[in-house]
Amino acid sequence: MNHDPFQKISQAPTRPHAAATPSRFDVADLYRGPVAGDAAAAAAAPALDEKLRQAYFWIVNRAIISPHYDIEYHAGPPRSHMVGDTRRTLTLPSAQSYSSFVLLPLLAFAARRKCLFIGGPGRGKTASAVLMGVLAGIPVREVRRAMQHGHPQMTVADLLGNPLPADLLNARRLDEIRIAWRAWLPMRVKIVDEYNRIPTRTQSALLTLMGDNYAEQLDQVFECPESAWYLTANDDQGGGTYPVIEALRDRIDVTVQALAFNPRFLDELLLRIEDDIRPEELVPRELVFSEAEIDAMGAAIRAVSVPVPVRRRLEFFASQFELCETAGAQFEYLSKDTARLAGVPLRELGAADNGRDRLADLGCQSLNGISVRQLGTLLVFAKALAWFRGNPEVDLEDLRQVLPFVLRDKLQPDPEAPFFAEAGNTALRSDRISWLRLLFDLASAEYERLDLDRRDEVGEMAATLARGLDGLGERETAARIVRIEKLVAERVKGRKLYGHLADDLLMLKYLHQRYTNYLAWLRAR
Amino acid sequence: MLCAAFAEALAARRQHCNAAVAAARRAWPGFDQHAFGRFLAEQADPVVAAVAVLTPQRVAAVVDASVGIGIELAGQRLLDASPRGLALARAWSGLAPCCAVQVAQSPGQVLGMLSNAALHLAALPGVNTARWQADMAALAPLALTLADLRALGQVLAWRAGAAHFRQGALAALDALPPALALGVVGASGSGDWGQVRAALRDDPWWRAPQDEHGASQRIVGAFAGLGGAFTAPPLLRAAGAHAGGASFVVRSGEQDFALHADAHGAIVLPARTGMFDAAQDGAGDENGAAKVEVDWQRVAPPFPAQDCAVCASATTIAIASPYSHAILLVARASSPT
Repeated sequence: MNHDPFQKISQAPTRPHAAATPSRFDVADLYRGPVAGDAAAAAAAPALDEKLRQAYFWIVNRAIISPHYDIEYHAGPPRSHMVGDTRRTLTLPSAQSYSSFVLLPLLAFAARRKCLFIGGPGRGKTASAVLMGVLAGIPVREVRRAMQHGHPQMTVADLLGNPLPADLLNARRLDEIRIAWRAWLPMRVKIVDEYNRIPTRTQSALLTLMGDNYAEQLDQVFECPESAWYLTANDDQGGGTYPVIEALRDRIDVTVQALAFNPRFLDELLLRIEDDIRPEELVPRELVFSEAEIDAMGAAIRAVSVPVPVRRRLEFFASQFELCETAGAQFEYLSKDTARLAGVPLRELGAADNGRDRLADLGCQSLNGISVRQLGTLLVFAKALAWFRGNPEVDLEDLRQVLPFVLRDKLQPDPEAPFFAEAGNTALRSDRISWLRLLFDLASAEYERLDLDRRDEVGEMAATLARGLDGLGERETAARIVRIEKLVAERVKGRKLYGHLADDLLMLKYLHQRYTNYLAWLRAR
Repeated sequence: MLCAAFAEALAARRQHCNAAVAAARRAWPGFDQHAFGRFLAEQADPVVAAVAVLTPQRVAAVVDASVGIGIELAGQRLLDASPRGLALARAWSGLAPCCAVQVAQSPGQVLGMLSNAALHLAALPGVNTARWQADMAALAPLALTLADLRALGQVLAWRAGAAHFRQGALAALDALPPALALGVVGASGSGDWGQVRAALRDDPWWRAPQDEHGASQRIVGAFAGLGGAFTAPPLLRAAGAHAGGASFVVRSGEQDFALHADAHGAIVLPARTGMFDAAQDGAGDENGAAKVEVDWQRVAPPFPAQDCAVCASATTIAIASPYSHAILLVARASSPT
C-alpha cells in the first residue's frame, strides 16, 4: 500500500451535492469505506467529471503550489472585507471555488482547446503544461522532449520536420520527397514554450498547425489529430523577440496568468527540494485519461445545455462592442472593424460621435468587438465549466467566470475611454480579468433593467420563423412582414443607436428579407 | 508484546515500514504514531498470530497488509475510543483471527473488507454490530471462498438490523451454498432452500421456526435531542415503488426519511426531499383497502393509543403518535385487523 502523499487521491466526492440520498441501497456498500484494501469492493471507475475534478484537486494539493481561488462561487452571501487605502475587497467564497491557473488548462485539456500561460519567468507555466501532457498518458520524458521551444532561429523545418536528404537528391517530382515529420505532430497534447520568440515565418507554419490541424512541407501534408495546445509566454502583449501575428494570437482560446507565489507556502517548496520530488513524475495512474476518455469528455461537454436566459445575456453582452455609428454609411458597415480595415483610428471617429453617453455605453470602453470564433469558445468553456462542476446545464455564473479568461487577449480596452478615468476604475486598465467581469456585470444589469427576459419581441419573431414556413400562406406572410416593419419603426423612433439595438434591427432586417423572399416565391408559383 | 512471528516480520521490514510511516506523517498532519503502534500490538498481532499457526509462509503478506491498513486507519483518525473505533478494534482482535484462512489467502482484501464493514455498521443506527461480529466469527470457517465470506458478511449485516440491505442480502444468500444459506437464516432443519427463499422474499417478517432471532414487532425512531433522527413526532405514508425498497416514508419537521423494517431490524435513513409528498397518503393500505383497525390490547404500543396514525403496506402496519417520536411496526399477518 502506497502512502506517498503525491499518490493520494481523494476518495470523497469532489463535488458533493446536498441530499443526494440513493434511491436504492446497495448491499455492496457494506464493504466500501476508508480502507482501500478490498479491491472487489473498490468503487467502480469514477465518472469522467469526477475524475477531472480529482485531477484538479490533486494538482492543486500536490503538484502546483497555487492556492489562489480567483474563480469564486458562492452558495449564499459571502463575507467580504475592504482593505488598504484603495479599499480593495477580499472575498471569502461560500461555495467551492477554483484557481484559474489550474482549472482553465484542465478545461482546455478536456475540450481539446488552446491555452496560453503567461507570467514572469519561473512561475510554473511550463511545469503546468507538462502536467497536462502527463495527464494525457504521455510519459513525462516524451512530453519534455516533444515540447517545442521558441527561439529566434527556429525554422519551419525545426517545427515540422525535414525532407529526407536522399529523396531530395533523387526525386524527380515534388511528391516523391518524403518528409521526416517531427514526433510531436501526432501528439494529443502539444506544448510550445515561449511561442512569442518564434520568427514570423515559422509562426505562419504554427498558425496552419493550430488553426487547420495539418502540417505542410513541399506539398506533403501531415494531418494532425485534435489536440489540446499549451503555449507559454512571458507577456501577452505580443512582445518577446518577434511580434506575434494577430491571426496566431486569435487562435488561442483562453489565457491564464501565473499568479505570484505566496511565500507562506515555502514549506511545501522545501519539502520538494528535500525529497527531490518532481510532481510531474508522480501523477497517479488513476488520474491519467485515455484517448477514448478525452473523446468522451468532449462529447459530454458539448451535450451540456445552455438555457435560453443565459444565452440571451451572452447575446446582449456581445452586442455591446462592435457598433461604431460613425464608421460607415450603410447599416451593416457601422462597425469598429470597418474603421480598422480602413486604417481610420477609432479615436477620430469617436470624436464625431455626439450624444452618446460614453460612460454608460459599454462599447465605448473597447477598441474592437467580439468575433464569432470567440463566442464559440466562450460557449465551449462555459459548458466545460458547468460539466466540470457536475451540472447538466450552464449557469450564468459559469459564463461569468470563464468569460474574462476567454476574452482577455481578445477584447481590447480603450485606455482613453472616460470609464477608465473615473475614480476607482484606473486599476481596470491593467486588471483585464476584473474589467471584463465588470463589463459582463454591467451588461447583465442593463439587461435586467430593460426586462429583456420578458420583453423580447425580436426573439419571439425569430422563434416564429424558426418553426418553419411550411404551409404559411400569402396573407399570413404579408401580415408578418407588416409586423416586422412596425416593430422596426417603433424601435428607431427617437432613440440613440446602441449595440444591442443595432443587432436587433439587423435581425429584423434578416427576418423581413426571409419573409419577403418567401412571399415572392409564393406569388411566383 | 508482539508474537514472535510478527516481531520477526516487522524486523525484516523495518526500513520499509519506517519509510511508510514517515510518508504517512507527511500525508496526514497530526498522524498519531502511538495509535498506530497500539493498533499493531493489540489488533494486528492476534491476526498475525492466527495466520502464523495455520500458514507461516503467509505471515509476511499479512504483516504488510496490516501495516498498510493500520497506517490508513491511523491517518484517518479511526483508531480512537469512539463507538466506531471500538467496533473496528473488535473486528480485528475478535473477528479477523476467526477468518485466518481467508486472511491468509487475501490479506489486503479480507482485512480491508472487515474493517470497512465494521465501520459502516457502527455508523448505522440500531444495528447490532456485536451480534454481526459474533455471527461472522461463528460462521466464517464455513465460508470456503472469499466470495462466500463477502456474501456471508452481507447477509449477517442484514440479520443484525441493517434492514435496508434486505434485497441485497437475499441475492447474497442465493450465492451461498444452500446448506450454508439455510444455516445462516436459522433454517438448517428445513432442507429446501427454494421454499425458504420464497418465504423470505414474500414476507419480510417471515422467520424459520428454529430461528431464535428476529421479532414480529419493532420500535424505531427517537427524539433528535436524545440521539434519534426526529425533531418532531413523525408522519407516515406507505412507500411507493420508487422508494428504494423502503416500507414507509416518514416526515419529521422539514426532513423526510425512508423507513425499512422486517423481522430482523428497523432502520430510519435520510431520504431525498419531496419523497414524502410523492408517497401515497397512509390512511389506508397500499391496496386502497379500508382503514386498518388495530387490536391495541395485543399490539401494546409505547405510547397512548388515542390519536394514533396507522399506515399499512401489504406486509407491515406502522403506528405513530402525536405524543411520541417513536414508530411501532407490526407484522401484518400477526396483527388482527
